[in-house]
Formats: sequence, structure tokens, C-alpha cells
Amino acid sequence: MTKQVVTNWYNRIPDMEKDLALLIVDGNAYTPRMALSEVTRGTPLGNKLQNLIETKKFGTTYEQEQLLAKIRLKQVLETKPEKPMFATLSGKVFTPSQLLKEIETNTSIGQQWVNEEIKRMKAIMQGT
Amino acid sequence: MPAIQNVFLFIAPMGHYLNYGSVVLHDIISANRQAGQIITELIGDAANPEKTEEQLKTLQPKVFSAVGHGNSTTYTVESTAKFVDAESPKLELFKDKIVSLTSCLTAIELGPAIIDAGALVFMGYKDEFWFYIGDEAGTTHAVQSPFLATFQFEASLLRGKTTGEARKDQLAKYDEEIQYWTVGAGKDHPESLELTRILEINKSVSTFLGEPDVAPSLPSITMPISPMLPWAISLLALSAMIYREATK
Repeated sequence: MTKQVVTNWYNRIPDMEKDLALLIVDGNAYTPRMALSEVTRGTPLGNKLQNLIETKKFGTTYEQEQLLAKIRLKQVLETKPEKPMFATLSGKVFTPSQLLKEIETNTSIGQQWVNEEIKRMKAIMQGT
Repeated sequence: MPAIQNVFLFIAPMGHYLNYGSVVLHDIISANRQAGQIITELIGDAANPEKTEEQLKTLQPKVFSAVGHGNSTTYTVESTAKFVDAESPKLELFKDKIVSLTSCLTAIELGPAIIDAGALVFMGYKDEFWFYIGDEAGTTHAVQSPFLATFQFEASLLRGKTTGEARKDQLAKYDEEIQYWTVGAGKDHPESLELTRILEINKSVSTFLGEPDVAPSLPSITMPISPMLPWAISLLALSAMIYREATK
């Protein structure tokens, strides 16, 4: 895979997702924007990130997938104002921090968001 | 008594944040209703268990579409009053009908029980149905978006499509709304990512059970104004004049 293909992969990612953690190398999480920068500069880290992108993997274990999804959701939710924003048709209402707590403590509510986030991460890696 | 074609019953409770869905449903009905359809909406306090049961029995609607809080076995109406559960004798009221419950979790047990009781179709959700309440109900695209997607099913049924076509339209509407928040006009909204995830979650847990080829209403008919109409009116006026003169 050439660097151009990585650039093309990056360009297909919606802007709002370019700064969310997506790839794990040596225990560190990287966003698509960071990955593109490393690949473009041809660093050793860039080679490892490019290898993940080529093999369409963002982590290597189930635990890493779960962890990445939680990191991404935390990135999104922890910056939001603390007011009721999300509700369900089972009568539950959440502020962003309350939803984040559900996610971090692995409740069924939180797991619904984590599972959907993993689906989205896989779709990004597949370039769809 | 068999369900009656072209008859629709909508249940729209308003309390406990249900107004977020019910106001969108009302707009969808207004925008898509066709001439000749008999449409009843039970809104707010009228969306109570007694009235809902009474209207189901007397109207025998082909389509029963309801917003409400729910769980795997139970659907509730206004003030979270229980209307029906998976063991209820009321299930027989759904025989021969298309049932759509915009409600959490009801596709797990209640939906299959409704189908077992003889309903033709059940449309619902097998996990939590999410929506955004960051703005007042009905005021922004953000609060409407999850409901615009799910109620495309009702919109298409009102337009005369079959249940299978309406389901296909609903899934396409989910994709359209996701695109709106991802790369469309809504991509710069502060909660665009959360709205995208809400729509993705709702889409993935939406559940269609039953027959795909049921059409509850006739396809919309548009009657073009005949170019002969002005002549016909003139002729009618002339005939009336002649008649008046002849009977003087």
C-alpha cells in the first residue's frame, strides 16, 4: 500500500471522526489525523500504523476494541455541557456524564453504545 | 371482525418526553394522509388505556401505530399506564392488523406475541430506542431526526405502499438522516456525532416481523384537472339557464 492509499483512506473519514482515537500501537492510541502525519513523515511509528491500516485492524484483541470504543466515546461526551441530552423510550434520561458512566461501568445501556462504536470503527477501517 | 382497509389509529402520548416523538408523528400524518383514509389520533390524555382499547374495538384499524415507553414484554401509553403485555388477552385486538410500536425493547417478547396473536406485521425495537432532548420538542432537526427515520414506515403506509416497501423506505430514511449528520448540512452541529450514533443504534435494533406484502391503504391517486373542466362548467351553467327559461 502506498502513502497515497493511506491519504485516500483518511480523506474518506468524516471530519468529525478524524480526531477520535482509532488505532493502537505499543499500547498507545492514535487518531486518523496522527496516523496520516506519521505515515506522511515516514517514521517507524508511521510504518506500524500503515500496517494496521493495510490489514484493516485498529487493535489486536477484544479488550483493545472495547477500550478504543470507550476512549472515543469519552472524547466525545466529556466536553459536553451537563444537561439532559439523551433519552430512551424506556423512560431513561441521561446527561453526557451520566451516559459516560454507563459506558465506563459496562451496563447494558453503555454496552449498546460501545458495540455501535466498534461497528463504526470497523466500517472506518474498511473504508466504508 | 376483520381489520378495515384505509383505517388508521395512532396513539400519541405527550408526557415523560414522549412529546418528542408524538409531535413528529402528528406532522408525518398531516403531510402524508390521503383522501379517503379514516385517521384517528389519540393525543396526550386521550392516549389512555381505556380509550385506546375502545378505539381499537370500534374502528378495527388496519394500522395501529403507537408511541410509548416500553420494555421487553409491555407497551405503555400516557402517564406510562400499561396498555398491553405479552400475556394479555388484549393481544387478540391486534389480529389481522399492522402494528407499529415506537417503543423500547418490545420486539423481544411483546412483538412476537402480537404476531402469534394473529397480527400481520409487527414493527418495533429489540433494544433501547434513543433520541436527543437537547432542544425543546419539535423545534429542531436534531430532536426530530430519530423520529423522522422511524416514522418513515408510517409515512409510506399512508402513501399506499406495502409493509415491505415501507420497511425499505424506513431503512433508507435512517441512512439519509445519518448522512445528514455525518457529511451533510448537519455535520457541524455540536452533537452531530452523538446524533449519528443514535440513528445507527436505532437502525440496528429496529425489527420487522411478519408479512412484507400487506398494503393497508390504496396508493395515492392524483386527479389531474381535466382540460375539459372549464367547458363542462360552462355547459352546466348554460344548461341551468335553459332550464330556468323553459320552466318560467
